[in-house]
Amino acid sequence: MGRLIKAEFRKILSTKLWWGLLIIALLVAGTWAGMLSSVFDDLAAELSRSEVMRLAGVRLNEISFSVLFLTRAINIATIFPMLFGGLAIASELGRKTITTSFLTAPNRAMLLGAKGITYAIWGAIYGIAIIGAATLGIVIGSGGDHLVGFSTWLAIAAAGVLSCVLWTLLGLGVGALIGSPVGTVIVLLVYGLALGPISDLVFTGMAGGDANVAGALPNGAANGLTGSTAADTLADEIQANATGMSKVSSELLEGFQDTARLAAGGLGSFGLLASAAIFFAWAMAFLALGLWRTQSRDIT
Amino acid sequence: MHDGSGRIEVRQLSKNFGSVRAVANLSFTVAPGSVTGFLGPNGAGKTTTLRMILGLVTPSEGTATINGMPHDKLGNPARVVGSVLENEGFHPKRTARNHLKVYAAAIGVPDRRVEEVLAAVGLTEAGDRHAGGFSLGMRQRLALATALLGDPQVLVLDEPANGLDPEGIAWLRSFLRDFAKQGRTVLVSSHLLAEVEQTIDQVVIISHGQTMYYGQLADLRNAQRPRVLVLPSDHDALSTALREEQITEIEPADDGRLAVMNTSARLVGDIALRAGVAIYGLEERHADLENLFFQLTSGQYTAAPPQQLGVPPQHPQDKGNTGWGGQR
Repeated sequence: MGRLIKAEFRKILSTKLWWGLLIIALLVAGTWAGMLSSVFDDLAAELSRSEVMRLAGVRLNEISFSVLFLTRAINIATIFPMLFGGLAIASELGRKTITTSFLTAPNRAMLLGAKGITYAIWGAIYGIAIIGAATLGIVIGSGGDHLVGFSTWLAIAAAGVLSCVLWTLLGLGVGALIGSPVGTVIVLLVYGLALGPISDLVFTGMAGGDANVAGALPNGAANGLTGSTAADTLADEIQANATGMSKVSSELLEGFQDTARLAAGGLGSFGLLASAAIFFAWAMAFLALGLWRTQSRDIT
Repeated sequence: MHDGSGRIEVRQLSKNFGSVRAVANLSFTVAPGSVTGFLGPNGAGKTTTLRMILGLVTPSEGTATINGMPHDKLGNPARVVGSVLENEGFHPKRTARNHLKVYAAAIGVPDRRVEEVLAAVGLTEAGDRHAGGFSLGMRQRLALATALLGDPQVLVLDEPANGLDPEGIAWLRSFLRDFAKQGRTVLVSSHLLAEVEQTIDQVVIISHGQTMYYGQLADLRNAQRPRVLVLPSDHDALSTALREEQITEIEPADDGRLAVMNTSARLVGDIALRAGVAIYGLEERHADLENLFFQLTSGQYTAAPPQQLGVPPQHPQDKGNTGWGGQR
């Protein structure tokens, strides 16, 4: 297995796809985070008008709103590790290098296992780099205001890395299932950029902002994984900082959490652990389907 | 574990792609120390059979083993069998050297083996060029280099001469002969008998997914009956005269000629003279393997199978699937 993982790393490092996608991912994460931070005023104004804020007498300056931008940036940048994973098996099938890969591995299951492990590691590499870029973007964009505390940052970073790993593996499964690089990229992009977010919006609109079926879909669950941490952090901070907390009913606070989750990009999602479990299940389901398809595919 | 014999065994192998029967009940054995030609026209099922031997395609029925084991039970298969397949891929942006390093890592051989195989196929200079810029011949050489990485005991090659220049083909021939001389096994497919005739000892000829002939090439050559092609002034008179001399196997041939089996040009000429038939052309045809190959694979050959043919003495168990057109 170690030999096959080494071979997979050599495969990845001897072509340019990994850094081509990584550079774009970093640019998108950094720019997105920076842009959102600098237009923070609008969002802050809106949130400050909310009843929770008014009743609780929270001063916005004490709230680390930048968590929202961090998760937003991570969510958009996960497109790239997803594509990277998507091309893992699809491009080998498309370019017919899968033939040699199968012929030099003890059996297909071991090769596919080595691919899964290798791409999980690469998903984490993408995740760490994306979080670094997004953090840098926020620091530059916000000029140092409303930064998150280290423990919160760490929690969101961990959720972000996990999200990248799972998106990579989900992409790998989808690519293996579809079997064509172009088809895989199109399907993943259409889902990740259009179908996923739009369906989240529609379902959440229908549910009036509550947790709903959108949170059970891959995109919603993945956004919930990162967004819930941000939303919970904000809610906690408000509870802790608020002078007039007694005036805030639990119902109102829940409503605020939904709003914050919305702002963090986790439309209609369930809580952190539920989202993590749901997205993990989606990623593993697609991975298993893709590997099963590859296991039984005739290579002609 | 595998038995280390270097023997390829194909038993009652069949493959259906949907309703298309690509390979039908194919059986043959490839012995170590020999080069076996796997011949048939395009679409006969050669590639599918080779890919079943290599575990890339799952058989519908039957088994294909190397060293007594299916490909996925060989342990480290590239140490046992190397292959050059048609339509084998290289990443166009990966250099030849990096391509080999990837698979050297997978097989578990040191990187210096990469330089050895590059030198063996004459690609050392081109090693840092992208495989996408390679000519067909260079791609074939790179595929062969990949096959040799694990220093395998068995080589399987699918139409390896495609894209090679005459010099490359000559080089490949001597390479395969040397490889077999070391006691190793070579199975090489081709749709042209002439292309591999000088290289192979044993031949498996298939058509429409079925075995047409399986045995030593020398036996096939010896079995070809001599034919005389004659252009007479009067077909009927000559036929009658020949039949009176107990020469009965006469068929119409092309260009208005008659094909007369199991005789000599001299005898036909003498008989014609006695019958008073003028001869405008007379030609004796001996073993013409290409023609025989064409007959075996064109599906129009309907003569009864000569039973003495087709079975190498060491594999009597395969008798049922051999001979000329035995399954038609």
